[in-house]
Amino acid sequence: MPESRKSRLTRPETLTALGIIVVAVGFLIPTFEMRAISALLPAAMLIALIVLSVFLLISDQRKVSTGPDAKPMTQSPKRVVGAFLLVVAYALATDFIGFYVSTAVTIPLVAWLFGYRSPLGLLIATVIVVGTIWAIFDFGMSQEFPSGRLWGR
Amino acid sequence: MYTDLLHALPDVLAWTNFAAVVIGVIAGIVVGAMPGLSATMAISVLVPFTFGLEPLVALGLMAGIYNGAMYGGAIPAVLLRIPGTPAAVATTFDGYPMAQKGEGGFALQVAVVSSSIGGIASAFALMLLAPPLSKVTLLFGPSEVFWVAVFGLASIIFLLGGNPVKGLISAGFGVFVSVIGSDPIYGNDRFTFGQLEMLDGINIVILLVGLYALPPVIDLLETPLKTDGVNSSKLGTESIWKALPRMKSYWKTWLRGSLIGIWIGILPGAGGSMAAFMSYNEARRASKHPETWGEGEPEGVAAAEVANNADTASALIPALTLGIPGTAVAAVMLGGLLVHGLQPGPMLFRDNPDIVFGFMWQFLFGAILLVLLGGSLATNSFARLLNLPRPLLGSVIIVLMLIGVYSIHGRMFDVYLMLGFGAIGWVMDRLKFPLPPVVLGLILGGFAEENLRLALRIGRGDPTILFQNTTSLILVALTIAVVVGPTLKKRFVDSRKAA
Repeated sequence: MPESRKSRLTRPETLTALGIIVVAVGFLIPTFEMRAISALLPAAMLIALIVLSVFLLISDQRKVSTGPDAKPMTQSPKRVVGAFLLVVAYALATDFIGFYVSTAVTIPLVAWLFGYRSPLGLLIATVIVVGTIWAIFDFGMSQEFPSGRLWGR
Repeated sequence: MYTDLLHALPDVLAWTNFAAVVIGVIAGIVVGAMPGLSATMAISVLVPFTFGLEPLVALGLMAGIYNGAMYGGAIPAVLLRIPGTPAAVATTFDGYPMAQKGEGGFALQVAVVSSSIGGIASAFALMLLAPPLSKVTLLFGPSEVFWVAVFGLASIIFLLGGNPVKGLISAGFGVFVSVIGSDPIYGNDRFTFGQLEMLDGINIVILLVGLYALPPVIDLLETPLKTDGVNSSKLGTESIWKALPRMKSYWKTWLRGSLIGIWIGILPGAGGSMAAFMSYNEARRASKHPETWGEGEPEGVAAAEVANNADTASALIPALTLGIPGTAVAAVMLGGLLVHGLQPGPMLFRDNPDIVFGFMWQFLFGAILLVLLGGSLATNSFARLLNLPRPLLGSVIIVLMLIGVYSIHGRMFDVYLMLGFGAIGWVMDRLKFPLPPVVLGLILGGFAEENLRLALRIGRGDPTILFQNTTSLILVALTIAVVVGPTLKKRFVDSRKAA
């Protein structure tokens, strides 16, 4: 049975092709203000990306009538979105709260949420990882990590 | 030509440089043994940590990881029928049936010895073939170098297989990322949007970690793997030295597999899994008892493992001499070389002979160390790694990624940029956009632009300068052959099938 108009447009490859076209057009605008020789390669690449994305879009839309339904990009979207959000939250927490606190919370939190539920194992792993990082990078290599914008340092 | 090779040996044997190879091999086996992790990911995570290290220490770690991971992938392939790395798929065919018969220990010993032999053969191929090729490429001027870059990109896009449109989009994305920052000749900003952090362009390590490390971490967290535990005491291992006489009859398989692996490694876009499959098929064809293959034939493990390790160092032959990597790992290694100010290509051999030849020795020592470190006792220990909880592993890798990228310039901006590349990498991975062309596009994009502009300046703006010498024309012809060849071959095969 042919796919509905909405599902045709929400196929992953179609969405990706449309996304590339929009972003490439957006980046193409500043090239008009550059010197011609400086804009040569970037403009050529962006135009090529637009043309190739149109090809991708057309070939994906052709599959709607001839091929099977597009496979979803993941079988567990909640877990994938959750994993991405946790990684982003960890980066933000490092930036605003500080590296060591964020790391000491993130390691057990991520492992717990994604299925490893041994409190002793989590405690040991967290102490070993944070301790090793401190010993190697802070103590051994004098590497400074973010101490947190919220604390004004 | 080969005297530089001998001169580089003492440096490699310095204890810090040698220790780096040892640590790299152990780390590589650990990474390879864990399904979901790969040598490409491990080296991507490692590269930022090597900034402060001497080049030979950093390269020794990379060479060791590459060698170790290619063997490490055999551990879960044999014990669980889950290939630790894509290159270990063919190892499961006979390795797992052997484990079920109680011969898992012997299967792993065959794997480690075969991996070591493949790695040694590959290192010798690199040592013998790269120096003369680099002499030829030293004669190249800007227009030839530009065409080498174009040929490199074309070959990795079109020979990689899959959808060429997706390959081209990947390469275009990589080239576009390479132009972000200050113009190399006039110095005006391109796509920096007023961000001072972008003026120097985007560091390749940020892209590598984002593309190659974040998607596997998301995969680790997405699908928790149930291993049912691995009891290493049931492996049935004896001393590796006692097991060696049982392997004497595999010498033809080792020789054939090594040659196949070296050849596949040199070809841009192929890789360890193709080498292992080809070697396995050829060995089975040559076997007197092909009916036993697939039911626990140790020679099947030998055929697969020798070939997937024989493509390691040989993948660096085009990478080091022309800047064209044969595999994804080689592409990441090019990034590692750039981090240490070593531009892959003909000048590398002239300007840094100690380092480039030292790197070759490190591949050889890494391959030899495989037998010593991956022997029976170590194999038992490595088998236990399969019981490590994946969510915990994922969370630790996330921390290492952040530390590595933050350490480059000491700023969170790079971490956010890496996360952006990671999200793009995950989408590309799921939609089967190849990732090596992105890395190669970033490496060769700037290189190609600089040489194109230099050639145009020499020719006073006349583009025909790009076609005015024989080498350039040969490179143009090769590029056309790479682009058109696969289509013509497909049509030829289709027409023969139809007939």
